Amino acid sequence: MTTFNLPDLGEGLPDAEIVAWHVAEGDLVRIDDLLVSVETAKAVVEVPSPYTGVVEKLHASAGDIVATGAPLVDFSDVTASDAVPEPPAADAGEDAATVVGNVPTGGELLQETAIAGGSRRHKKGRIKATPSVRTKAKRLGLDLAEITATGKNGQITIADLDSHAAKGKVLARSARPKTIAGRSDQLRGPRRAMAQSMSKFRDEVALCTLFDDADINEWIVKRNITARILRAIVAGCVAEPGLNGFYHSDAMTHQTESRVDIAMAVDTEEGLIVPVIRNVEAMSIDDIRAAVKHLKQATRNRTIAPQDMVNYTFTLSNFGMMAGRYATPLMVPPTVGILGTGKLQHDVVAVMGGIEVHRRIPLSLSFDHRCVTGGEAARFLAAVIQDLEMPD
Amino acid sequence: METIADFEVQYSQFLNPEGKPSSDIPELAKEPDALIGLYRAMTETRVFDTKAVNLQRTGKLGTYASSLGHEAAHVGIAAAMREDDVLAPSYRETGTMLYRGVRMEELLLYWGGDERGSDFADVKNDFPYCVPIATQCLHAAGAAMAFQLRGESRCAVSLNGDGGTSEGAFYEAMNVAGARNLPVIFIVINNKWAISLPIEEQTATKTLAQKAVAAGIPGIQVDGNDVIAVRHWVERALARARKGEGACLIETVTYRLSDHTTADDASRYRKKEDVEAAWKVEPLIRIRKYLTELGIWDEEKEKALLEDAADKVDIAVQKYLNTPKPPVESMFDYMYKELPEFLEEQREHAIRYADKNGGEHG
Amino acid sequence: MAEVTLIDAVTMAMAWELEHDPMVVILGEDVGVNGGVFRATAGLQKRFGVDRVQDTPLAEGMIAGISIGMATQGMRPIAEIQFMGFIYPTVDQMINHAGRIRNRTRGRLTCPMVLRAPFGGGIHAPEHHSESTEALFAHMPGIRVVIPSSPARAYGLLLAAIRDPDPVVFLEPKRIYRLNKQEVEDNGKALPLDVCYILREGTDVTLVTWGAMIFETIKAVDQLARNGVSCEVIDLATISPIDYETILESVEKTGRLVIVHEAARSCGVGAEIAAIVAEKGMYDLKGPIRRVTGYDVVMPLFRREMDYLPSVSKIVDAIGAAMHD
Repeated sequence: MTTFNLPDLGEGLPDAEIVAWHVAEGDLVRIDDLLVSVETAKAVVEVPSPYTGVVEKLHASAGDIVATGAPLVDFSDVTASDAVPEPPAADAGEDAATVVGNVPTGGELLQETAIAGGSRRHKKGRIKATPSVRTKAKRLGLDLAEITATGKNGQITIADLDSHAAKGKVLARSARPKTIAGRSDQLRGPRRAMAQSMSKFRDEVALCTLFDDADINEWIVKRNITARILRAIVAGCVAEPGLNGFYHSDAMTHQTESRVDIAMAVDTEEGLIVPVIRNVEAMSIDDIRAAVKHLKQATRNRTIAPQDMVNYTFTLSNFGMMAGRYATPLMVPPTVGILGTGKLQHDVVAVMGGIEVHRRIPLSLSFDHRCVTGGEAARFLAAVIQDLEMPD
Repeated sequence: METIADFEVQYSQFLNPEGKPSSDIPELAKEPDALIGLYRAMTETRVFDTKAVNLQRTGKLGTYASSLGHEAAHVGIAAAMREDDVLAPSYRETGTMLYRGVRMEELLLYWGGDERGSDFADVKNDFPYCVPIATQCLHAAGAAMAFQLRGESRCAVSLNGDGGTSEGAFYEAMNVAGARNLPVIFIVINNKWAISLPIEEQTATKTLAQKAVAAGIPGIQVDGNDVIAVRHWVERALARARKGEGACLIETVTYRLSDHTTADDASRYRKKEDVEAAWKVEPLIRIRKYLTELGIWDEEKEKALLEDAADKVDIAVQKYLNTPKPPVESMFDYMYKELPEFLEEQREHAIRYADKNGGEHG
Repeated sequence: MAEVTLIDAVTMAMAWELEHDPMVVILGEDVGVNGGVFRATAGLQKRFGVDRVQDTPLAEGMIAGISIGMATQGMRPIAEIQFMGFIYPTVDQMINHAGRIRNRTRGRLTCPMVLRAPFGGGIHAPEHHSESTEALFAHMPGIRVVIPSSPARAYGLLLAAIRDPDPVVFLEPKRIYRLNKQEVEDNGKALPLDVCYILREGTDVTLVTWGAMIFETIKAVDQLARNGVSCEVIDLATISPIDYETILESVEKTGRLVIVHEAARSCGVGAEIAAIVAEKGMYDLKGPIRRVTGYDVVMPLFRREMDYLPSVSKIVDAIGAAMHD
């Protein structure tokens, strides 16, 4: 018998959660057949079978957390190669008559219940909404059960979602205080990873944050903010490369990189993930825009590979979607820099000769003061702002 | 009333079941090499055929249609054909295919469920086996039409059984061949049985040769167990067609000594005595006797031939058994000259799931 | 009550009708003396005679054509086509006449015939013996197409088909002819046509399938049940006309639909079901309708036939994808 242990899934992670088995005990599997789906801190990973053999024992069930290196599957009758399957022998004796081929004969007694259609009529009054409406509701965090449907067929429409969201703003203040449901969850997946990495951060990093704003009033094209910010970060790295890299505390080594690989912190339902755009320094603004678009899609589909969430040199945290102008974002060691962007607003600014209303991006640059000075950070931020404020 | 049309059907046999030649036996019968060649081919066919049945019984071949008893008809036909003629067989004519140059392992691959068995290495234009009964008759007529349009002296040869003569396609093919004077020979190999239906219940006609009358082409009946007769008349028919004199029908009368296929049990519907009687007039006996009478064959030569045939068959069987399954994507790669875009996704899907079916049979 | 296989149940149903309706006649190739190449008519000629169970000459077009002739003149023929691969010569008669005669004579002449054929692959057979082209007949107005998936349904549905006043193409999944047995009472009770049969009730995903694929589908469903996925499995049974009410009701409950059929994908019956549910059940759907089918290629010879057919893994993955919507 051969035991297959949970391999290191590429991130040095300590464990993984079983999402779904693709085989059952007793199944014959071949090399590379899909064995099991597991979730690490950042992604769902498919594990193929390393053997051709019979699955004797599964050491965990869906939902269990398995440590790296711990037993996962027992195989028996392991062979290295596929045998060409032989055609089944003809049935001798029994008149399983057929002029061609081989009709399988089994003696198993079929136990089934079959309910003829038309005899059940339970109208369950389900909520009606197209898949696109359901997805949008999910994204907005709306409960379909609370929304009034005005569609001709009794369905909830996009308009219904919008009017509910608007209503919500009015109702919010007059709403009764809600009860809070208490619960206790052992942290799993990305949340688990967050607790682990934040603790590490607190123990090691000397955090310091600079706050400022970029005035984007002069922009010709008033969109693609993320792409502009990413380009601006590259400008900062050019001015002060010290923030683009790593600090290895045990060797007390400050490693500066020539590549600018920026991790984009994204908040998903399951928690924070950080997909990476690589070599931003070599990209034109159009390239960056395309990369951002691709990344958003991949995040939605959860198709980001584990290797695309590691080994970045700088982080961007767009935390200001709903609220928050400034923050003290925390970078993940061993990186030493992170730029946080807050909620875009129209601010009243003083100009020569009076006051105007300009759109501004609040910026919070955190750096690891063990290896980066305040002056270096300030010069970095100045370069970022200068690039961001350019018309295009 | 006056008779304005009449018909007669002639029957020919040169070698009787005991191997005694008739007085008008053709010149071919005096050529020892030719005769031995025919006998070798018939014997090899039977040895191969026996092996194929055994392979099926031991689970190494799929369902197989044996040609036991048909060797004279099958080999005689092929021996009369020119290399650049085109054959449109049904699914039983092992001897014809082998004589034409189809390799033994190709036939095994076909019955072994592998399309590569029909991609004949040495035979470029013949049709592969045809399962939907008598549909091949029309293909042969079409091939003949191509030859006629291009002014070639090639012929098409259509083979089907007694059952096939009831199908509409059989008549349609003969009719157009007659109407257009096509260089095609329709050979009906009447082995008396269409699975369980005996010839007497298949049709009211006394012979199958006379079906030709309805199409206005000549038809003759020949003893299908007499390889000399088959060879002679097929050659005559082809010569006639090459000269532009059109199509004809040859009925070769033989007997299906085997079951319809390896999954059939003929004892359910045939009498043992009938089969035993048919064995007495089977084709190999008479030619062997004739050759022995001529002094050009003996027990030692027989033994050597059987050993030689067994060796040949063994080599082919090994080749077949050692041929791995075709790649899964091959089910896509021969659908069109260029794979249409919409099929690419399905092709990838198939590759992804290749061999992952666990052999379910419910 | 006897424990019978699907093929036994077919024999039982035909025997019952031969006994109780003197107008019923069976015809086909090798159906009499031989009892049929799958033994569907075993013993029937002995019991009912050569006129009631006839061995015909070898011509499928003729078999369909004379069945129509008999049916319009008061008989109830049950014609057997030996394999679906040989059914195509009947198409001329079935489209041009069987499905039309009632309509074009305003009901004066009708065609109560059954055309039976074994269909489907996975039995290691030679070329042309593994066809699944039920969509061809499903597309013809005026013709019902019925596919049983168990001995009990084979018995009840075939009785209904024989008694039906209009033409029925009754396709028998040969792969499950003898796969298992079921208790079936030989009481002449027909099952309703034009309805689906719900084999498993569930709340997460609706599976619609028919024929031998039911077994792969059930296996996939059982596998996923271990992971807490609750599937509803519906046997379509009558392929044409489709009982879409039952399917819509189920999708209303689950919000997810996966269709499984052996036949090739494009323009298969699954496409029709998907269209109906997209039209009438769009607001119940949580995500796209999925089909797990054969590919749009000629069915490969048996060395690769199992890669062509929908497998348990393919079905499991489709249900899994639906659960992620």
